[in-house]
Amino acid sequence: MVATEERVAITLAVNGRDEQVSVEPRWLLSDVLRRECGLKGVHVGCEHGVCGACTVLLDGEPIRSCLMFAVQAVGHQLTTVEALGTADHLDPVQQAFWEAHGLQCGFCTPGMVLTARALLDRNPNPDEETIRETLSGNLCRCTGYQFIVDAVLLAAAKRAEDAEQGA
Amino acid sequence: MASANPSDRSEAAFTYIGKSRHREDGPAKLVGAGGYVADLDPAGSWYAHLVLSPHPHARIRGVDTRAAAAVAGVKAVYLGDALPEADLLAESEVFYAGEPVAVVVADDPAVAEDAAELVEVDYDVLPAVVDAEAAMRPDAPLVRQLEDTAGRADAGAHGDAAGGSAKTEERPNNVSAVVKYRRGDAEAARAEADVSVTRRYHLPPLYQGFLETHGSSAHAERTGETTIWTTTQGQFMVRNAVKRLLKLPDYRVRVVGATVGGGFGGKGVLLEPLVATLSQRLGRPVAMLLDRQQDILVNNPGPAADIEVTLSARSDGTLVAIEARLVFDNGAERGGSAGIACLMLAGTYRCPNLDVLGYDVMTHKVPIGAYRAPGAPQGYFALESAMDELAGTLHMDPLQLRLKNAVQEGDDRPDGRTWPRIGLLECLRAAAAHPFFEEPLGPNEGIGVAAGGWGGGLEPAAAACQVTSEGRLVVQVGSIDITGTNTTFALIAAEELGLSPDEVHVQFADTAHAPYAGMAGGSKTTYTVGLAVAEAAKAVRKQVLEIAAERLEAAVEDLDMADGAVHVKGVPGRSVTLAEIARDTARFGGRTAPLIAEGRSAVTKSAPGFAVHAARVAVDPDTGEVRVTGYLAVQDVGRALNPKEVEGQILGGVAQGIGRALYEDLAYDSTGQPVSTSFLDYQMPTFHDVPRVDIVLVEVPAEQGPYGAKGVGEPPAIPGAAAVANAVAAATGRRVATLPITPERVLAAQ
Amino acid sequence: MTLAAFAYQRPRSLAEAVEAMAEAPDARWLSGGMSLLPMMKLELAAPPALLDLSGVEDLRGIRDEGDFLHIGAMTRHVELARDPAVRRDAHLASLAAERIGDPQVRNRGTVGGSLAHADPAADLPAALLALDAEVEAVSARGRRALSVQDLLLGPMMTALEPDELIVAIRIPKHTGHRQAYTKVPHPASGYAVVGVAVAIHEEGGRVRQAAIAVTGVALKAFRAARAEAVLAGQAVDQEVLAEAAGLVCDGQDVLGDVYASAAYRRQLAQVVTRRTLEGLR
Repeated sequence: MVATEERVAITLAVNGRDEQVSVEPRWLLSDVLRRECGLKGVHVGCEHGVCGACTVLLDGEPIRSCLMFAVQAVGHQLTTVEALGTADHLDPVQQAFWEAHGLQCGFCTPGMVLTARALLDRNPNPDEETIRETLSGNLCRCTGYQFIVDAVLLAAAKRAEDAEQGA
Repeated sequence: MASANPSDRSEAAFTYIGKSRHREDGPAKLVGAGGYVADLDPAGSWYAHLVLSPHPHARIRGVDTRAAAAVAGVKAVYLGDALPEADLLAESEVFYAGEPVAVVVADDPAVAEDAAELVEVDYDVLPAVVDAEAAMRPDAPLVRQLEDTAGRADAGAHGDAAGGSAKTEERPNNVSAVVKYRRGDAEAARAEADVSVTRRYHLPPLYQGFLETHGSSAHAERTGETTIWTTTQGQFMVRNAVKRLLKLPDYRVRVVGATVGGGFGGKGVLLEPLVATLSQRLGRPVAMLLDRQQDILVNNPGPAADIEVTLSARSDGTLVAIEARLVFDNGAERGGSAGIACLMLAGTYRCPNLDVLGYDVMTHKVPIGAYRAPGAPQGYFALESAMDELAGTLHMDPLQLRLKNAVQEGDDRPDGRTWPRIGLLECLRAAAAHPFFEEPLGPNEGIGVAAGGWGGGLEPAAAACQVTSEGRLVVQVGSIDITGTNTTFALIAAEELGLSPDEVHVQFADTAHAPYAGMAGGSKTTYTVGLAVAEAAKAVRKQVLEIAAERLEAAVEDLDMADGAVHVKGVPGRSVTLAEIARDTARFGGRTAPLIAEGRSAVTKSAPGFAVHAARVAVDPDTGEVRVTGYLAVQDVGRALNPKEVEGQILGGVAQGIGRALYEDLAYDSTGQPVSTSFLDYQMPTFHDVPRVDIVLVEVPAEQGPYGAKGVGEPPAIPGAAAVANAVAAATGRRVATLPITPERVLAAQ
Repeated sequence: MTLAAFAYQRPRSLAEAVEAMAEAPDARWLSGGMSLLPMMKLELAAPPALLDLSGVEDLRGIRDEGDFLHIGAMTRHVELARDPAVRRDAHLASLAAERIGDPQVRNRGTVGGSLAHADPAADLPAALLALDAEVEAVSARGRRALSVQDLLLGPMMTALEPDELIVAIRIPKHTGHRQAYTKVPHPASGYAVVGVAVAIHEEGGRVRQAAIAVTGVALKAFRAARAEAVLAGQAVDQEVLAEAAGLVCDGQDVLGDVYASAAYRRQLAQVVTRRTLEGLR
């Protein structure tokens, strides 16, 4: 048993790298990713598991990093938005969000992008209803969602195009 | 190109204006490098955490801070009387549940939070005045002494936007302001009218719902220089508040506006004076980030309102009297929303007889602030619901009733001014012509329409433009970019200089380095700063042309700029690129003065923006559940400089209107306890709740705005609640006059 | 936000878990954390120690055991929703699982965690009640089985001893039964304002067995016995359905809250029940 407020050394597999961190058991995954791993793209919005701004991928599936202790993530593959494209070479999903005006203040954006990315990895050609259902755990206060839906539809088209060219 | 009034130009004359461009801050935000205040962690920072009152009204008998102070890592615990300049902590009495009473500073945020739990406050609980109507009664106890309160700076900033300046008259208890608009004899006109409708409407307080909570950090250096990093819509506003409270000269306070994760009026001045004070006292950088629950409790939300409206008309639909009584519940500070609400309620339609009376009332609740078009959604929910009911009574098409009465240029406003050129009629006509109304309705579906308008804010602004040695243009501004304004500025500068927007970089600078710009609020950033950018770009253009004239041995009048070069008109091949000219401005031995200029604006005429919305809803007759199945948003935007971003503003406004209509309620119980203190309780629209929206941009150019543009942020958040309520009435024959329109209220309505 | 501190252990086996609990009797089990973490954040729970079950292999997996499906307690909602065997033999459990919260919650939340938490507005309890499921619980004293009916005592209250752990849920196969779950979610929290789970077995045009379970309406999920009785043995028509639906809250103390009053909730339960039954015809 790790005692209260005692730190435990753990290894988190984040974005393809092993990160050695020393954490208190009570530390949330979101806070550890931000503070210990420096991944500021993990946004903490509501802290109660509603808004989805803190969404990261755990073994490829979207989860809320504010509803998980960092110690629980040991042995899983974590992906944050930092693993996708760079500002000069956006990933197709990010590029589609940009082109389709799918972001405004940007606070929900990393969570949206990751949830959309996981959806497209599983279902490359989702319809609007599926997109809305799959992204329904992510709140946005700025966009009214329409351009985010458009962005995911555009991303699907872009990925299909890329796949065709790659083939 | 050098037209004095750019709004005269036809669309075809523009190269970049009016063509959608994606946001320049997109890539940074998309890769998780947005630069929000929580992402900035000043080296060596300590962390502050608030202790909040659980009581809506109580006297503080004593505070025991010993246990908290004894926690390892705690650096200080302060009570309100020790930090008066922070303007946030209660001193001897608390006036709302959630009012900060103490602050704990520690070297680790978790330690500060843990220790804050250990601060023991001994309260003498006092009776709370919770209901605004009750607060106005002669026997009601005073919420607090009026002279102890200050109008919140941000609400005031919005309040000025509409230019409401009504007379203040006799004040009932706990009333901080009375607004009165009288014209003719409304009572007599009602007696003679063919029809009248009367109803009382209620709107709850609303939380702005930004996904990023408030956060600020400060570093007061021993030299006396204080730097503040914060999430605010107005960095100069923060600077002015801090220098005033901390009694510092303005140049010693540097405010760095971080990227804002949503503001909607709610990010003005809140924590900055406190962190600055703490840093000054402790000699260390101090940071504070509110958690969501504290943010909901401490942030200044939009006010609740009770509005009774009576509309009287002739049988042909001509309005003859508007009577209304508005009560705004502003919580434990003065607030000030009734002015805008009264002005728009009384001023949107031509009407010879007015009797409109508004009260700003204080209660023991969190002081209200600004939420997107403060006062307007409340006033228009009542007015536009009543107009719909009047249309029903008259058996008239609701759009025709509005067309018949809508104000236009030259009509009197109730405040003694006259309306400038506005687009209300144009919006109504565009709506009436839209196929939205022809699509067949399903069972239990109905359509409702509503109009709304916003006065539009004004504030002096400046900007600077400089050509880099590579021939790119840097635009420097001090306005906070929330809505994509920097991208619009790039389009404006590009247009003026004939330069691709890819070659224009808008640089945001802090208050020590940027030209002045007002808060991003009141729908005025593009309208005012945009004009300053255009002026600066024009001045740089002039500098460029003068140099080019020498180089090309041509008169300035014979030159033109396009594609990053200066050309001699009609002589193909005789040109010099901007890069060629610029190279000489920044090299050893160069002979060309740097290409740099400032632009200034002090717009004198506001440009009111109107919107007309139509909602289609389906109502489940057995459960009362309302689903919005279609939506039309028509808005006069003056000129859409970056149309997709304008549409983005409209879509977001529509969603917030739907939230106001159907879901949102920052509820209090009867004892004054807030009950929606997390996103588990405060319901905002999700992907499931907002339909696709048909958008029509109407362009009635503003006289003074850049290229005729008007502010577009606020109008789309105004008509939604009434449009949805009217659609519910159309679908069910039942009118819900209390927001939000919950399923239960639909079933209970008559 | 920082939660109150707690001691932590991640046992590697069931035996180790049970032993750890015996040594730290105030500890609580941590599975997906989708209920426990929000409660800790709202300061409704402050366990001094957590035993993280994610390392216990015995709690995983879905197995066919003849007349039953064995669902490991750590089975996540998303797995329950997608599993072909569950969809075939206990479809109602899948239907309820796919309506829980949102995708992020379903990707972490577990069947055992949801049952042990016993939120009166949770989805799974209704489905598992209607399916006559039972749970297998283990402690240092041994193993026992109890029905979901017996498990649920009240809001956040179960018949489990503090040291007991749900290791699996056993669901009698309902292959070929008509099943549906209808939910009116609270717009903010996603929990059920009303959730109705129905499983109907018909033979020769008559109802042989009807199970109706309701969540969100009372202090715990319940079986609507009188409504079921109305359907039993009947050739179902509109009238019978309406009568059954009208009785769905019979004998229950219906909850009212800020979002929905008791009267409204009762009516909503009746409407939802009628529609669910109609949808199965």
